Amino acid sequence: MSINPMDLTGRLILVTGASSGIGRATALLLSQLNARLILVARNRDRLEQTHSALEGTNHQVEPFDLTNLDAIPGWIKDLASRSGPLHGVVHGAGVYGVIPLRILTAPKLEEILRVNLSAAMLLAKGFRQKGCHADGGSLVLLSSVAGLRGHAGISAYTASKAALLGLARSLAMELAREGIRVNCVAPGLVATEMSAQVEEQTPGEIAGVENAHPLGAGRPRDVANGIAFLLSDAARWITGTTLTIDGGYTAH
Amino acid sequence: MTREEFLLSIDELLELESGTLKGSEKLADLENWDSLSIVSFMGLAKERLNITLPAKGIAACQSVDDLFALIRSQAAS
Repeated sequence: MSINPMDLTGRLILVTGASSGIGRATALLLSQLNARLILVARNRDRLEQTHSALEGTNHQVEPFDLTNLDAIPGWIKDLASRSGPLHGVVHGAGVYGVIPLRILTAPKLEEILRVNLSAAMLLAKGFRQKGCHADGGSLVLLSSVAGLRGHAGISAYTASKAALLGLARSLAMELAREGIRVNCVAPGLVATEMSAQVEEQTPGEIAGVENAHPLGAGRPRDVANGIAFLLSDAARWITGTTLTIDGGYTAH
Repeated sequence: MTREEFLLSIDELLELESGTLKGSEKLADLENWDSLSIVSFMGLAKERLNITLPAKGIAACQSVDDLFALIRSQAAS
């Protein structure tokens, strides 16, 4: 008899940022593990592209603008009333920006923190509501090795990603009583549209960063595997932690 | 953006006194023109003019005027 400890049959999982990169790869893998998915991003067309690549049926496409923070808990309540309680939430949506201090403005800082950090907190608030989470709920936040190591020019981004590490620890304490686990993954350099944006903005930077990864650059699937693990029962005794998936970048 | 406005914005970016740059300066001779200036310049172009400048295009610029020409060409395309 074979077993799959990461099997997600019968689980309903919401993935933000599901229209691209790690979010999309995560949705694809979770569907292959038999989860039912709610795909979230702003752009419906791009979500439909993810949707068409998924295994199985009964997945949902739910375009939503996560910058609308106040609306998040009510929106999750509505989703749960239509589709049932969620077993997992993955916050894969994120905004990247090379913004040295000399051109940093308060609105730009606010924009990055809003999507990367504040939306994560409001998703947690929505998920913990009565009737919104199933037994053994799991929240996974997409941080970054940028939250663990310093990088010039992206301080707003790194601050937001570092904040998620602390957020996961405190939420793990607060939500343990509700049976919800909260963890982060911290990927290193992964080839995505966001990394292409980095290359566009700072050519040569990627090559330097890639050389700092002993195992080379990662694939979105490498990170999705870690996220799936943290969502599954295989991780039932893991909360408040960060799984670094970086090809050895932070081992230096 | 006029050439004059452009020059003033580069003065500001490089923390030079307003009116310092005339356009003919070589970028290599400007003390503050470094990698962070380049990404800042790209950020300003995006923010103020909604133009995405190719970093390779910036790397090919020799002078302040070349930067202005690059912005002009990107705005036109």
